[in-house]
Amino acid sequence: MDSNKQPTAMKKTTNFLLSLYHNQYLRFVLFGLLLACLPQLAKMKLIKTGVVTTMAQILIYAIAALGLNLLLGYSGLISLGTAGFMGLGAYVAAYFYGDLQLSFWIALLAAVAIPTLIGTLVGLTSLRISGFYLAIATLCVSEILLKTFQQATDLTGGTSGKNISYPVIFDIAFKRDTMYLLLVVALVLVMMLTWNLVNGQFGRAMHAMRGSEVAAQAMGVSLLKYRLLVFAIATAYAGLSGALYVFFVKGTYPTTWVLNLSLNILAAVVIGGVRSIYGTVLGVFVVWGVSDLFLNNIPFFRQNPQISFIVNGVLIILVVMFYPNGLGKLPSDLKAGLSRLLGGRKKPGIPNKEER
Amino acid sequence: MQNNEITRDSLLSTETYVLRIENLSMHFGGLKAVDDLSFHVNRNEIFGLIGPNGAGKTTVFNCITQFYTPTRGNVFFTTDASRLQKGGDPSRQETLNLVGIPVHKIISLGLVRTFQNVEVIKELSLIDNVLIGGHIDFKANVFEQALKLPRARREEKAMREKALEALDFFDIADRKDMLAGGQPYGVLKKVELARTLLCKPKLVIMDEPAAGLNDSETDGLTQNIRKIRDAYNCSILLVEHDMGLVMNVCDRICAISFGRFLACDVPEKIRTNKIVQEAYLGEEE
Repeated sequence: MDSNKQPTAMKKTTNFLLSLYHNQYLRFVLFGLLLACLPQLAKMKLIKTGVVTTMAQILIYAIAALGLNLLLGYSGLISLGTAGFMGLGAYVAAYFYGDLQLSFWIALLAAVAIPTLIGTLVGLTSLRISGFYLAIATLCVSEILLKTFQQATDLTGGTSGKNISYPVIFDIAFKRDTMYLLLVVALVLVMMLTWNLVNGQFGRAMHAMRGSEVAAQAMGVSLLKYRLLVFAIATAYAGLSGALYVFFVKGTYPTTWVLNLSLNILAAVVIGGVRSIYGTVLGVFVVWGVSDLFLNNIPFFRQNPQISFIVNGVLIILVVMFYPNGLGKLPSDLKAGLSRLLGGRKKPGIPNKEER
Repeated sequence: MQNNEITRDSLLSTETYVLRIENLSMHFGGLKAVDDLSFHVNRNEIFGLIGPNGAGKTTVFNCITQFYTPTRGNVFFTTDASRLQKGGDPSRQETLNLVGIPVHKIISLGLVRTFQNVEVIKELSLIDNVLIGGHIDFKANVFEQALKLPRARREEKAMREKALEALDFFDIADRKDMLAGGQPYGVLKKVELARTLLCKPKLVIMDEPAAGLNDSETDGLTQNIRKIRDAYNCSILLVEHDMGLVMNVCDRICAISFGRFLACDVPEKIRTNKIVQEAYLGEEE
């Protein structure tokens, strides 16, 4: 009797463990926990404090990049206005929290809502025409916003920028390390939301649109509605990203929100691979992390900081040339390569869909 | 002129047709792709549209599904009143003119189509591809989906079951989680058909369903087309070059050439029709 029961119990446990292993949310949480360890490591003097700052920056930009990834990866539309909308989020958060003395949550909400609203208006006017018109339109909006940041001195502090303090949330005064943890939580939540979106009706509609606009319409997908939706989501992410930036850096200057930032985020999305959540984060890491975390440890690059930008650029070109699917494909490619090496020839079966 | 003013009630009906095309014309500049074409598809009928290459068959399809707005003519479609307004009586039939209705609204009326080159998404699993066909039945908004609120979960679960049923209908349920990319063409064709079933169609329009299939797959298709009609109690309008299939499966056939009506009759009569033979089958003699 017992011998009969044991295998089923074993099987149950293994099944349970397998389902845990395949649980995407658990993976996101684990990913977050790993990231959350960094400040502790810095405290133990295992890594430099600067690493935490760089990582924080990466977490912030990754949120905006995830938004752009949705837009680019599914609708094929390109926005060059990410920086502008991020900046708008940053200034709105700073104004609501610093000047108006409103609570952190209200400031955060406003910093997401206002860019989304403006983004939707821009989308309404420019999304009817497909192609690169959106890129131009968003570039213009971004530049207008940038000029506003510089000129509307009463609201934005002009070129000298705006400074706020670390936020107080639920009566807890946040410090640098706790802010970092907040960033981790925010990124993990955004990754989960993105995952849910991509794997639901919304994601399927976007896939259908990308595959064939004609077929998508025949299935009842309204092109304008979904283009607008995904564009609004991208701007919402950008706004959130900007708000988190301002709370972590404790200030914002117009010079941050220039075209260069938008292009870097676009590069991160391309490097990471469109339609890949982890890939996007990895792409942001490559764009911002590699030079700061690795190259600057080498004396030559420390003395010639400009060169590290060149190395970064070359790296981007190499990835795009030789790994055009993006780094997000890396794990599955490695797995396939390994099994080919170890198990000889793989049966020419049909690839299974990744766990859902 | 377009006859958009026709009120629904005036056509309210005991009509036996599900689709009636009336003096349809579609001109591209000087080219008359469809010229004054009229025919109708009865309820529960499998109807074939044939014609030599370039006869304007696909253009007719595009005019029916409103990808093109016809230059002239009307496309009347009879469907359940419940699809036209909330709380309508599902057993009551109403007729409306499709001309001018936005293309993405057509499917919600119960009119769904497949494409000449299968339009499936390679990166999605078969079941996800089928689920695209249920797009209009999702009521949960983006927020509910992002947060996986109860309604979004419930709808997803119910739709998944439906999609599985549809896959099972074509005996490919065992492949549900496989990616569409890399599947044989015959399977993809089935996925496309399964997708049309998710909206509980009144009329399924098939654009060359047998193209690219081998003989045994075509035989299977013949059975499947009948099976769809019987199980879903709907009509089927198909364009096809495979004369064997058309003659075998269709209740009635309409032949066109250069956008003009030639003949419309049962397969046996079409086969022996002199005009049709001249225009279409004539080469064989």
